[in-house]
Amino acid sequence: MLDKNAIGRASPPTLNEVEKGAIRRFAEAIGDYNPIYYDEEYARASGYPTIVAPPTFPASFHSAADLRELLGVGIKSLLHAEQGFDYERPIFAGDRIYVSTRVSDVFERPGMSGKMDIAVIEDEGRDEEGNLVFRARRTLVVRAAKENA
Amino acid sequence: MPARKLYFESIRVGDELPALAKAPVDRVQLSRYAGASGDYNPVHVDEIYAKSVGMPSVYAPGMLVMGMLGQLISDWARGGQLRRYNVRFIKMVWPGDTVVCKGRVSDRHGSGGRYFVEIDLWAENQKGELVMKGGSQIQLFYSLEDENRQRSGQSPIVVEVPRESLVVPAPASSAEAASSAPAPAAPERDRDEDDEEDEESDEPRSGASSKKTAPREKPAAKTASLPAAKKARK
Repeated sequence: MLDKNAIGRASPPTLNEVEKGAIRRFAEAIGDYNPIYYDEEYARASGYPTIVAPPTFPASFHSAADLRELLGVGIKSLLHAEQGFDYERPIFAGDRIYVSTRVSDVFERPGMSGKMDIAVIEDEGRDEEGNLVFRARRTLVVRAAKENA
Repeated sequence: MPARKLYFESIRVGDELPALAKAPVDRVQLSRYAGASGDYNPVHVDEIYAKSVGMPSVYAPGMLVMGMLGQLISDWARGGQLRRYNVRFIKMVWPGDTVVCKGRVSDRHGSGGRYFVEIDLWAENQKGELVMKGGSQIQLFYSLEDENRQRSGQSPIVVEVPRESLVVPAPASSAEAASSAPAPAAPERDRDEDDEEDEESDEPRSGASSKKTAPREKPAAKTASLPAAKKARK
């Protein structure tokens, strides 16, 4: 059982600068050639101020979080079970977004081979004015290392 | 020129999104995604490592498949604003697998000049097996006229449209999928504050699904010495 005291532990905000090249490479990797991710003029003609980032782009953001530290256990393996995003607005090239990570919940869930430890990790992205841009939520099946792995 | 936009007035509950069949996943794509996302977990890019931890080969990160399903949404909802996008990872996607992304409108509603559609989403592999399922909420202009008004600073067109949740047939590959279809969204407003609430309503579904996700648990458990902290970072 993971330590319930981990709930609420958070990492300090880390700046992520959204670069056009990073958006392009991310969209290419998915195989998504929608011109709003590549072509500034097209993006503007589509009603956006500039090039847009794909919906899962926040997956590429960095945060200062070390899950081992946040959860307070050595981690043997992690299984990504669920992922969710809430968006206040689209993310655009040129955005400067501060991302922080927080343990939103830990609990046990019955699994096939006994109880599974679940951790819910929430990332929050805010702009320089402090306005919320997105929230991302990962549900992870955590296998803690026996000792200080 | 940009493609034609999608407007609320033309959408009906039960409408299907045109299926999106992606090119087969290959190892080059896995490398590209690792580079683009910054997630270099070796189970996705290092064949020798993946085998050493008991996997038949490298496999696609769930987030890559979520990105593909995200393409289905953005391709369909041109001119719309994505408000929410959730998925559950069900089955692994291997090199050579073809992911087919599908979706269906499960609800539509509008109030105070803001209009939303809810869609059920799922992805299948080439055998028709469910690999991922989820849901999304998209905000749209009511009509072209509404968009023109708002873009010129006028007030939006206001039509009260109550939710019209409908029981739709299950995706062929999973009867369970529809019965546990994404719950209708929590109230759209104050989403930032009420986020917790929203996810709480998720609980029964998650519990019910442990059966489905369980098969993945086994192979994943073998990724014993995977550098968790690296992946965790994300």
